[in-house]
Amino acid sequence: MTDYENDVSRRLFLKGAGATAGAGALSMLPIQMAFAAAFPEQNIQVFVPTRAGGGADRNLRAFTGVWKKYVKQNFEAGFYPGAAGRVGYETYMGKAKADCYNLIFGNMGPEVLNWVVKKPTFPLDSYFYFAQVDADPACVFVSSKSKFKHIDDIIAEGKKRTLTVGTSRLAHPASLGALVLAQKTGARFNLIPLSGGRNTRGGVTTGEVDFGVLPASSVLRKKIKVLALFDDKNPLPKRMPDAVLTNDHFKLGLPPLIAGARAFGIKKEAVEKYPERFKVLTDTLQKVYTDPAYKKAVVKTKAPWEFIKYGNAEDCAKYVKYVTDLGQDYRSLLTGKKKT
Amino acid sequence: MEIDWGLFGELFARTFSFWWVILPAILLGLIVGAIPGFSAANTIIILLPMTLAMEPEIGLIFMVALYASSRMGAGIPAILVNIPGTAGAAATPLDGYPMTKQGRAQQALAISFVASVFGGLLTTLIALVAMPWLSQVAYHLHSVEMIVIMLFGISLIATIAAKDTLKGLIAGFFGLMIGYIGADVVYETPRGTFGFLELYDKVPLIPALVGLFAVSEAFAVIEGESILTKRGMAAMQKAGWKETWEGVTMAMSRWWHIIWTSIIGLVIGIVPGAGAAIASFVAYQQSKTFSKTPELYGTGHLDGLVAPESANNGVTSGTLIPLLVIGVPGGATAAIMAVVLQYHGVTVGPDLFENQPELAFGAFTAMAVTYAIMILTVLPLARYMSKITVVSTTYMAPIIISFTLVGAFVPRAYVFDMYLALAFGVIGYVARKTGYHVAAILIGVILGPLLENYFLRALRISEGDVLVIFSSGIGNILWILLIISLFVPMYLDKRRQRQREQALPTTTDC
Repeated sequence: MTDYENDVSRRLFLKGAGATAGAGALSMLPIQMAFAAAFPEQNIQVFVPTRAGGGADRNLRAFTGVWKKYVKQNFEAGFYPGAAGRVGYETYMGKAKADCYNLIFGNMGPEVLNWVVKKPTFPLDSYFYFAQVDADPACVFVSSKSKFKHIDDIIAEGKKRTLTVGTSRLAHPASLGALVLAQKTGARFNLIPLSGGRNTRGGVTTGEVDFGVLPASSVLRKKIKVLALFDDKNPLPKRMPDAVLTNDHFKLGLPPLIAGARAFGIKKEAVEKYPERFKVLTDTLQKVYTDPAYKKAVVKTKAPWEFIKYGNAEDCAKYVKYVTDLGQDYRSLLTGKKKT
Repeated sequence: MEIDWGLFGELFARTFSFWWVILPAILLGLIVGAIPGFSAANTIIILLPMTLAMEPEIGLIFMVALYASSRMGAGIPAILVNIPGTAGAAATPLDGYPMTKQGRAQQALAISFVASVFGGLLTTLIALVAMPWLSQVAYHLHSVEMIVIMLFGISLIATIAAKDTLKGLIAGFFGLMIGYIGADVVYETPRGTFGFLELYDKVPLIPALVGLFAVSEAFAVIEGESILTKRGMAAMQKAGWKETWEGVTMAMSRWWHIIWTSIIGLVIGIVPGAGAAIASFVAYQQSKTFSKTPELYGTGHLDGLVAPESANNGVTSGTLIPLLVIGVPGGATAAIMAVVLQYHGVTVGPDLFENQPELAFGAFTAMAVTYAIMILTVLPLARYMSKITVVSTTYMAPIIISFTLVGAFVPRAYVFDMYLALAFGVIGYVARKTGYHVAAILIGVILGPLLENYFLRALRISEGDVLVIFSSGIGNILWILLIISLFVPMYLDKRRQRQREQALPTTTDC
């Protein structure tokens, strides 16, 4: 588990540890007893179904770095990567106690699409997401050297020949975006899963594939041009000046297709057993969004603040249903199995 | 991107002034590199709070020094106790460990250090001045070309099989089969996982690596009193500073070998997603192909040690090139470094050359200075490090097993991986006892999944046309080179044999 205590408090702790150890040991006992019923009494564990050091880690550090101020406890992250998040979820559902001290921090879209492709071992309704942290729309991007200057160029070419489309993996909201676009415009796209955002950017930049689809925040680079966004508005018009909105441009009539929607999830049983604890969590986390320290922490990581968006349990459920339904529509393409 | 020699000079002088950052980073890198399972990438993540407290420039120098030294550190246990610290060092014990058994551990370490340092230093300097041109490599080596490059590495199985064709091929194919366990890269359909979620992302490399090499080695060495032969033990007991110097001169006499094998590493390192494991196996295979004494490889041949060590250090600077020039990291550590710098508000990519050239070029000067300081730091340690080989196997075997099991656990923190390492240990032990080559199995495990990835990607791009593998000009040239490198040695072998046979009667006549 990674302790998200920040370095300043760590230093303070080290400086003061020697002097306060004796006094602290004596004084802490009655205080702990007096607040025995308060929640949380101990650190909160967060299961992360991806590797340490990635976007989820960065996002979580920024968020919990401020959240801990309100819950008055630290957050400890445990990273359980593997099988596109499946290992993390199975570990959380199998090992974590249903006590509100154990949360999961996942990327809703790609992870619920996992369940479309192959059902997990636990019932799907045994957990739910209760707080969305960001909303990073799927986008179409090309290398700055690409001959495609506008999304219409891609569609026109896609009507003449099958274009190769780099994507992180098939079961991803960004891939669904490309499939929807192809279906609505009559263009022919061949999705090429390149195993992660880094390799997808590499495949597009080095010209192995014609264009790519990924969450927009992961392609805000100099040698990359965003040509379309699956969203109702362009959150960063200055950084993505060439991006058209697919809904407006092609009259898709779809809700925004958010490719990166990180959210905290919890076991349903925990909420049923400890509703008051769950209330503490939801009440305190909402304060994070309005805290200037959070904006500062996000900006410091160079992640665009414009993608930060709060969503409650209802918003999350709506998004999960939308992505799941869309995934079911294209299930045969995502799994390579014929429709039954 | 213009070359500003004045800036380079200034940067070198400035980087040297940060010796107090580089030195502890080198020591830390050597330690984490030497412990299987630890790597520069996960150490940088663990030390994130510390690097965040540093200035971006100091943080970058620290990370680069840690990265370069961990690469060298991984070769130390590979040579001394047959435990490669990382997959990039998997080809090192092929000739390094036999040298140790012969009592030449000190020379082997010195050769490894010199090859690593000069290979790393040379490729860093090449990268520094030729970055814009070198980055073009990434534009030309796609899936089709990478299939052939993988085959260069995999063809080592055939070379190993040359001694005992059937057993060599069985071991190689067994390794390839293990390599294909896990979800396929296109539809993520699990294959051969026996229901274990932990195997969905393929067989994890470190448990396989430490199991096949180290755990099986521990099982094997416990049958004797020492890992050294009797003559080796006698040599080790007499060993002094002379042996280190001997190793240095042996390595320096192979300067040309260091140059070309490190360049193989540099070129492979530039390709995003390729890595040190591929580079070291390809370099080893090429080294053997062009050797006048290929039959000595695997018995403690100096060239067989120089090649992988130069190549895997060549990769180090190579992985930074795509990160800095096109914003795509060449490897996992480069990606983590980019994330850490992002925390500092530094966006790594082409902009960096315009906005903060001292950081962009500084990454390479830091690497060059690290290598320069490293040789002075690490070379005197060869004598003391090599002493570990005289430790009795009664102590050595349990220590190896404990370390390797911890190492197997560290990368993913799954207890499952410790059991997996033990299972691979048993496979490796049985393979050794029955004359199957463990290295052939490992090549399959490491390179098999990569070959499959590139092959399936190429097939998907071509919409199922198998002939896609001959669709690229560069790919076709590589195919021809592959065929030459496979058949020319066979022809040369036959010719040499004929010459020996012709020479034999003449000798008898005399």
